[in-house]
Amino acid sequence: MTQFVLAGVLGVLFALGTFLVLRRDVVRVVWGVTIISQSANVYLVTMGGLSGSVPILGGHGGGHGAGVTDPLVQALVLTAIVIGFGTTAFALVLTYRVYEEHGTIDLLELGDKA
Amino acid sequence: MSGQFVIAPLLVALVTAIATLLTRRFNRVQTTLSLLGGVGYLGAVAWLVSKVDPLGATNVFSYQLSGWQAPFGITLVADSLSAFMLAFSAVIALAALVFSSAYVDTFGQRVSYHPLYHFMMVGVTGSFLTGDIFNLFVWFEVMLMSSYVLVVFYSGPEHTRAALQYVVLNLVGSAVMLLAIGGLYSTTGTLNMADLSRRVANPAAYGDFAVAPVLGLSALLFAVFALKAGLAPFQFWVPAAYRAAPAPVSAMLAGVVKKVGVYAIIRVYFTVFGAAALGGLSFPGLSVPDGGSALLAFYGPILFVMAAASIIVGGLGAVGRDDIDGLLAYSSIGQVGFIVLPLAIAATTTDESIRVLGVSAALVYALNHGFAKGLLFMASGAVYDAVGTEEFPDLGGLSETAPWLSGGFFVGALALIGIPPLSGFFGKLLVFDAAGQASSTAGLAVALFGAILTIAYFSRAWNRGFWGEPSLLVQHGETRFTLVAVVVAMALAIALLGVGFDVVMRAAEAGAEAALDRQEYVETVLGGGSGAEAAGGGGGGHS
Repeated sequence: MTQFVLAGVLGVLFALGTFLVLRRDVVRVVWGVTIISQSANVYLVTMGGLSGSVPILGGHGGGHGAGVTDPLVQALVLTAIVIGFGTTAFALVLTYRVYEEHGTIDLLELGDKA
Repeated sequence: MSGQFVIAPLLVALVTAIATLLTRRFNRVQTTLSLLGGVGYLGAVAWLVSKVDPLGATNVFSYQLSGWQAPFGITLVADSLSAFMLAFSAVIALAALVFSSAYVDTFGQRVSYHPLYHFMMVGVTGSFLTGDIFNLFVWFEVMLMSSYVLVVFYSGPEHTRAALQYVVLNLVGSAVMLLAIGGLYSTTGTLNMADLSRRVANPAAYGDFAVAPVLGLSALLFAVFALKAGLAPFQFWVPAAYRAAPAPVSAMLAGVVKKVGVYAIIRVYFTVFGAAALGGLSFPGLSVPDGGSALLAFYGPILFVMAAASIIVGGLGAVGRDDIDGLLAYSSIGQVGFIVLPLAIAATTTDESIRVLGVSAALVYALNHGFAKGLLFMASGAVYDAVGTEEFPDLGGLSETAPWLSGGFFVGALALIGIPPLSGFFGKLLVFDAAGQASSTAGLAVALFGAILTIAYFSRAWNRGFWGEPSLLVQHGETRFTLVAVVVAMALAIALLGVGFDVVMRAAEAGAEAALDRQEYVETVLGGGSGAEAAGGGGGGHS
């Protein structure tokens, strides 16, 4: 059941991210990219399978033995999240710099000045 | 075979990056350390190359980080293919570093230039050496993060706009890459390239997973690599970003960073996914003949269309440009097309010798483009430094006021056109040879058209910028010794590579064979001796 809910949520998040990336406002574009990368992270977690138990409980201490959720994807996601934070911070700083240089964050107006 | 030396170039670049970061208050110390680091990096790469010995037998070395054995730990792998890419990148990187120590103003160097440059090298090195697809993503990010800042280095209006485009596009690319990686992990149960290679070759032994999704996911991954390599239709970020970045950075972006995308395409599709057996799949207009190379046969036409589109878009774009940097940027789209064209032929053919020829043609062309385009971007930077402009209407007569610089530019242009004593001649020759041997008329036609366009735009650049009466700006311009010296040294290197081409060719062939020799790669990475089949039974239960 969780899988279906997550699949639906992920679809909505990706759609929302795409919608925002296509806006004219640079800040919204950055938000859109952030949402897309976060949903990619959530997607990565779901790829390990959600049905199992916590590895530490499942493997030791009287766990049920079988059905451990793959812990590797969580390590991968941790890396991806950290990288995502860095790039988002940079994108925001860049947006501020764009505003300073051009006096606008409207992508169409930026394009006109080329 | 295992070897600690695999990690040496990575460590040198990382230590240099940190050292330059710590000494940023002391300008001279920082520049000295940075240059020393560049030399040290070249030395570390030379050590690695001498161990891998691309001219002798095929050697593959793997380094398991913290001693965790391959499919579970992080692996770095050095074989003839990575050694080839690393070797020419290190030379270009050192030349660009020397150039930038004179070209970038003191304030800029003090702010962040050197650490960023070396962090970019860390990312490039890691991408060439990694044996794991998720780590490929991580190294890409290291490389991109530094290149974002380097593109926006001057932070004027044009630069911020170009960087914004570049950043957003690459962030979306990273998200797509994560999607592909997640899907691949869920389907095959591994991300280690060697493990992936043996699993897709024999899915029945590893939990009998479906191979068909691998095709789609690898296509998703391919879009990301094509974006990094700047292949059409993902080429639109290239001109703005290259024009915005400082000249030595453009030289690195075109000469080295783009090649990381090319390397990833060769490594991931020829070594890893090339093993996939796609029996029972059918696509419109595509027959799936033998099990071994069906996936490559699927990518052949795609690569071909993208290469042809890049050659045409880049060539036509370059002919119409009115400034040197713009022309070089568009030209670099077209030249990447020339690198990928023989790869398309290699993917389509079933003949093993033509396949080796195709991949080595791509490698030789990548080397030639790295040197020649690096040289040209640096020459354009030197022109800008002397004259203060790069627009053709304001230039003219440079060959009279700056003969050495013009000579360097001329050699670079000739190398890309493909004139005999230079390395470019052999690159072009091999591309035509591969197309001819595979009797691909369309390939020959596209390559010929691209070659003519190359001649057209370079003769136009030469006529308008370097010949004729010196303009007022050019007469008052003054070239700086270091900048011109680097340009001339690169020109000499191109000539030397052409004269001593035998060595380059043997190294490229070894690289191509390493890329296609999955057995050796898999056995080395996953613990030699036990063999792929024997280890398969034990590892199979894991997923």
